[in-house]
Amino acid sequence: MGSEPGALAATEIVVFEDVQAPARFRTVRQVLKKKVAIIALAYLLLFYAGGLLAPVIAPYGLNDQQLSVEKRLQSPSTDHIFGTDRLGRDLFTRVLYSARTTIIFTVVITLSGGLFLGLGLGLLAGYRGGWIDTAIMRTGEVLSGMPTLLLMLAITAAFRARINGWSFWLEDHTFLGEDSKTLVKFLIISMATVPFAWLGSCRIVRSQVLAIREESYVQAAESMGASTGRILFKHILPGVMPLFLVGLTAGMAGIAGAEVALSYLGLGIDEPAASFGNLIGDVNGTRLFNDYPYLLIVGAGPVILFFFSWNLLGDALVDVFDRRQNQRG
Amino acid sequence: MSPGLSGYIVRRVLWAIPVLFLISIIVFFMLRLAPGDPVDAILGSRYQEDQARVLKEKYGYDKPVYVQYVKYLQNLAHGDLGVSTRHRDFTASEVIWPKVWVSTQVGLMAILITFGLGIPVGIYAAMARGTFLDPLTIGFWLALDAIPVYVLATLASWFFAVKLDLVNLSYRGVWSPNMIVPIMVMALPAVAGVARFMRASVIGVLGEDYIRTARAKGLRERTVVITHITRNALLPMVTVVGLTLPGIAFGSIFIETSFGIPGIARESLAAVLAPDYDVILALVLFGSALFVFANVVIDVIYGVIDPRVRVGANRGQ
Repeated sequence: MGSEPGALAATEIVVFEDVQAPARFRTVRQVLKKKVAIIALAYLLLFYAGGLLAPVIAPYGLNDQQLSVEKRLQSPSTDHIFGTDRLGRDLFTRVLYSARTTIIFTVVITLSGGLFLGLGLGLLAGYRGGWIDTAIMRTGEVLSGMPTLLLMLAITAAFRARINGWSFWLEDHTFLGEDSKTLVKFLIISMATVPFAWLGSCRIVRSQVLAIREESYVQAAESMGASTGRILFKHILPGVMPLFLVGLTAGMAGIAGAEVALSYLGLGIDEPAASFGNLIGDVNGTRLFNDYPYLLIVGAGPVILFFFSWNLLGDALVDVFDRRQNQRG
Repeated sequence: MSPGLSGYIVRRVLWAIPVLFLISIIVFFMLRLAPGDPVDAILGSRYQEDQARVLKEKYGYDKPVYVQYVKYLQNLAHGDLGVSTRHRDFTASEVIWPKVWVSTQVGLMAILITFGLGIPVGIYAAMARGTFLDPLTIGFWLALDAIPVYVLATLASWFFAVKLDLVNLSYRGVWSPNMIVPIMVMALPAVAGVARFMRASVIGVLGEDYIRTARAKGLRERTVVITHITRNALLPMVTVVGLTLPGIAFGSIFIETSFGIPGIARESLAAVLAPDYDVILALVLFGSALFVFANVVIDVIYGVIDPRVRVGANRGQ
């Protein structure tokens, strides 16, 4: 790490000013040099493409059932590449639609909770200190003080009793039609997740800022009269970024996991809509796994690889950031 | 302990009181105002009105919500957490504490394994950076971490109990060997998070000048790794450990339901779904108090191990 004040100021993670266009892609290029990262990226691309294009790709209807004995619980074949479940529904189709659910949910929560609240409030709290820090961290304490999953369950359970009222209203008064029930369920699990989604990254960012603001290069910048914005974004943010990205990328799996877990418990997205949670819930069980192992592998595999890929990608990113800082020092 | 530090601790603890107060208000009113109440849970979907009235009178639900809240606070001041409606007429304390104890024991064993493995794995990976051993080590634990606990529980029970027929998974108390599989399923996926955090932290320290100095002095590699690198790299871990600790008292819903452990997580799931007002409230308050306490401890420890971080000091600018 550079000890002279100018060292970190040249880092191109800063998005706000003075960004040289080619340098911005250096991160991407360096990440792409890692084979593991490429495999992870390729899988994520496949996952996102599959999820977004689900209505186009899906070979069968989401809820087409075939209840005859020979059509139920089919092993993977050319007709049903992932096999069929206990109701004879095509599992490949359900996996695609589950991916769609995961994608929508993670995008919403990452933007609102992780990026906007987590990074913003963390920087503010760590650097400004004083009553702003107190207010943010006390709010965080009120929220993190509550046992998260328990509260998420309480919120979802409380609101779910109103699902019908709200979704019927939406059906009658908007263009949403039959989608409104799913939308309302989405809203409910989002409301249950966002309050807790920013805490982790906010705390990591704040503790990093606390340490970094004591570094000599920050104090040098302060003594030279640099503006708060400049100090925050040019001197502190680059040092905060690696751990924030670990938090965010690790958080990605966690956020997606929250939806899957809530749905698994029957409190999130439930049937007939598809989610990996209800998909896994439907095929989970030691005896069922013993008799029909492909059910669990096919149902849980795609989302496990999704979690895994995000984590690998996060690791690769951190490595690139660290190495660049070491080279400079 | 400097006078500034003890003043800081007192201030933080005093802060906890309004925080807990606020939490109790939010949760109390959220529970009371949400549709569905314990009387429905007790009587089922069809019942006669006067039956319901008797029960509502008995538990005080017929009074206005704010009156109920004041009554609740009065009881709380006397150390009375209220009664459970799901376990008819057991007090909330009788329901909660034995189960919290079960979960805490299980959680403590799991967390010891998690950090005991995670910290050395992280240091090892960081020191092996640049070789294939680093991504391989971290990748292995990340793969394990990617599997949701409820799937891992199924796979582990199938493998060890059905396929290998090695273990019996019925619950026979916390300290029975039957608990090895559940505790491992709980502990091992979390290793990745600790290891990765530790690795990032060690790598951050590796670039510091004092490491170069230590090496230049000709210190043995062992000394450099243990006293210079590890000790400094452990600083950010304090937050991780501190924030993980209070959580163990709440157990894991999936572990406890998958393996039939009579812990508090299962109880809280049932309490939320019932709903069982006083039990939920008691759990939330207990949890919040624990977390507030942990936060204070983290800040104090930070100041002790890294004097550069001045606890509670306002920077004059």
